[in-house]
Amino acid sequence: MRYVRRLMIAGLAVAVMLAIGCSADEPTPVPPTATSVPEPTATQVPTKAPEVQPTSSGVAPTATAIAAATSTAVAEATASAGEQATVVAEETATAASQAAEDVDDREFDARRGGVFRLLGTDPVTFDPALTTDSTSYDITLQLFSGLTRLTDDPNNPIVTDLAESFTVSSDGTVYRFVLREGLVFSDGSPLTAFDFKWSWERAALPETGSPIVKEFLGDIVGINDIVDGNATSAEGITVIDDLTLEVEIDSPKPYFIAKLTYPVTFVVNRDNVESGGETWTEAPIGSGPFVLKSYEIGVSMVLARNDNYWDTPAFLDEVQFILAGGSAMAMYENEEIHVTGIPAASYERVTDPNEQLSQEVVDVPAEFVTYYIGFNVEQAPFDDVHFRRALNFAVDKELIAEAVLNNRAKPAYGPIPPGFVGFNPDLEGLRFDAEKAQEELAMSKYADPESLPRIVFTTPGTGGSPPTYLLAVADMWARTLGVEVEFQEVEWATFLQEIDNYRLQVFSLAWSPDYPDPHTFVDVLFRSDSSINQTQYANDEVDALLDEATTEPDPARRVQLYQQAEQIIVNDAVWVPMWWGTEGKILVNRRVNGFRISPLGSYYLKDVWIEREIDF
Amino acid sequence: MLIYISRRLLWTPVLLFVAGLFIFSLGSVAPGDPAELMAGQRADPEAIARIRDRLGLDDPFLVQYTRYAANALKGDFGESYRYRGRDVIELLGPKLLVSLELNIVSYVVTLLIGLPLGFWAAMRQGTWKDPTMTTFMLLVYALPVFFTAPFLILVFALWLDWIPVSGWSGMFSTHAILPAFTIGVPGAFVFMRYMRASTLDVLGQEYVRTAHGKGMGHMTVNRRHIARNALLPIVTILGFSLAGLFGGSLIVELIYGIPGVSRLALEAVFQRDYPVLTTLTLLGATMLAIANLVADIMYSLIDPRIRLRA
Repeated sequence: MRYVRRLMIAGLAVAVMLAIGCSADEPTPVPPTATSVPEPTATQVPTKAPEVQPTSSGVAPTATAIAAATSTAVAEATASAGEQATVVAEETATAASQAAEDVDDREFDARRGGVFRLLGTDPVTFDPALTTDSTSYDITLQLFSGLTRLTDDPNNPIVTDLAESFTVSSDGTVYRFVLREGLVFSDGSPLTAFDFKWSWERAALPETGSPIVKEFLGDIVGINDIVDGNATSAEGITVIDDLTLEVEIDSPKPYFIAKLTYPVTFVVNRDNVESGGETWTEAPIGSGPFVLKSYEIGVSMVLARNDNYWDTPAFLDEVQFILAGGSAMAMYENEEIHVTGIPAASYERVTDPNEQLSQEVVDVPAEFVTYYIGFNVEQAPFDDVHFRRALNFAVDKELIAEAVLNNRAKPAYGPIPPGFVGFNPDLEGLRFDAEKAQEELAMSKYADPESLPRIVFTTPGTGGSPPTYLLAVADMWARTLGVEVEFQEVEWATFLQEIDNYRLQVFSLAWSPDYPDPHTFVDVLFRSDSSINQTQYANDEVDALLDEATTEPDPARRVQLYQQAEQIIVNDAVWVPMWWGTEGKILVNRRVNGFRISPLGSYYLKDVWIEREIDF
Repeated sequence: MLIYISRRLLWTPVLLFVAGLFIFSLGSVAPGDPAELMAGQRADPEAIARIRDRLGLDDPFLVQYTRYAANALKGDFGESYRYRGRDVIELLGPKLLVSLELNIVSYVVTLLIGLPLGFWAAMRQGTWKDPTMTTFMLLVYALPVFFTAPFLILVFALWLDWIPVSGWSGMFSTHAILPAFTIGVPGAFVFMRYMRASTLDVLGQEYVRTAHGKGMGHMTVNRRHIARNALLPIVTILGFSLAGLFGGSLIVELIYGIPGVSRLALEAVFQRDYPVLTTLTLLGATMLAIANLVADIMYSLIDPRIRLRA
């Protein structure tokens, strides 16, 4: 998941915190992501486009024109309507064509063409069904598409993509999708509702081996039977005709539509998959704005424009990913790549207003991410809620943010970051209070320092020492409470195994959402039976609230339920929430327009265009 | 001689089997599970179990190794865990080639600088020039690559804008210049020292004095008697260096963005891509065995006493 990228950043810790959202430029092996190369990567940088966003006014208004398909909107519709609630406005198609006309033909031609170059890492897979890591996610998003997709508009995070519209039955369990007319794959072959049924069932097959299909499609009636090898087709997916797909889910889940933005739900080409065998992704046929032109492992990956894209095609002729690594900053300055993070060492020079490069510095808005210290609540001494609360009260995040991180980090008090669906501005966090910390410690069964077992704090990474801010936290624990911890740094593979087996006492990690719904934060991480509940936290009250929230049709009430659960989790001090996504800076070549990254951390290259004056 | 060589050759497969067993066993004792890494953080335990099953990771260790070794004998080194459906050899081939090219050009730079310098220094023994040059080269040798490489990039790629910062397009392209010098120049120090010592040895020989005594020109003596004889022991060192030719040069590859074998190897370590790791180790062991053999043969050709003992 995106999670993993955060991790990498968490591993780089202060260097990155200082450089803010920038990948380091040194060749030192960086803590690897679970899946991708341990490499400094320019493309992994949270990014936003320069101010110029001509494309969004020109080509992309489809996105805004489509009445929102946010989970909220869906839920509202479900709640209010009697029979069937139409969610998506019908003018979508017209809006799209109108938008295309809005862009002056000449202007459009002027933007068309060019090669966009990035420093990247090898994706783990090009198969949408297997995509779980951020690198693969970013690529499958360019090559494939699904019924809905994410936008970077916080008020309208989800729009329909290959679907023109959809309706939800009054009980919230049957979704009827109407596809756009005349859809084709990148090779020109027709794309119909049958392809969706086939793609979803194929994603669920045990042979496909998708690790996350249950998470994203398992709500559909019959999908889990396929995953378990008891069926090959799902009765919950019905093809009404070429353009109409009906999907039945097991219970009303307003966040279901949000999950359909994830690659595992994308449509793949049956002939392509069946004839290509295990390596079909070497020449994938998709429906995204780009096609894979060439790929050489560890060397380069080239995407070319998909002229058969349903919407206005991409401007760029090609996107070239350099996969062999290199010194990102030097490559950027030599115009070998168009985008890079700013390494800590170059930060001062680059942001100096007298420096020409400073004109290419682009602010990156805060990403949805939460850094935290997690406690294994089944292991002593973290099995005592008072002890965990004491540790929370003892950490002065504001001071660390100021003194250690130059105010580039925003102290966090709960799992859900600001700006994200369900963020609670009234959440009562466990703010620094030395007295309360000592009181809580006195109440705990570890009040006597002699009774305190050895505490090993594990951080993922290969940097050699834990991030400075964690050392500061440990220092505060020692001073305020007399609690000493030992640090242990392990590389990612080991960390993953240890945490999966609940062998870590206390650890530092970061989490960012997979889809715009509080479910991706609160439910996934804290429900007692969630497979990735790393803290082993189990609270019946929280579980009950989460159960209720899962099927609650009223969006306001739903958010309320998640916020109640969140408050309990905070009070139970399962984590020490550390930082929320911070604003950062990156470098984007001055001739590149329209390059931006959604707050969920991925980029969409369709709208990128390069001014032509100088040839690259 | 033949017996000697064939005895050495017979030992090689045993050596490789043991080396392979060693690296393969690391896979079963090292922390981290390739299946977990492949499945990602989101995977449920069932998904991980399915992957383990597909890769045959649940079989006993010896079964796994026997299967690997049997396939390897047929030239099939298995599929990468990380790059699904990709043959290990298909994956390694191009990378090994790049590293080979990089090492060859670097080697040429090393020899072209090291040997003449060593000779030059030996001929100036006793003057200020010899220790000055030796000290200078020692300094160059001592500079860490992660300093020299960015420095060279800064000067030649960014300030002078003569050569690209990164990338690779073969050993005869401009891309090869900076990495070749980054690796080659410090390496020259070692050969300079060898060459200097060996030249000094030869200088003391009687036949050199005789040659001078015959009234031969200095240039001729230098070339035909001193340099040629001084190079002989160097040749045997060259044999050993063969083993390194397929090896990567990690930091240089990372900094210059060269798609060589080191990056793949590093990634394989972090990703627990055991088929790739085992194959790389076996290749390394094979190269070392061959290089040893070549060096031994060269020795015995030069020095009959070794041959006799064998």
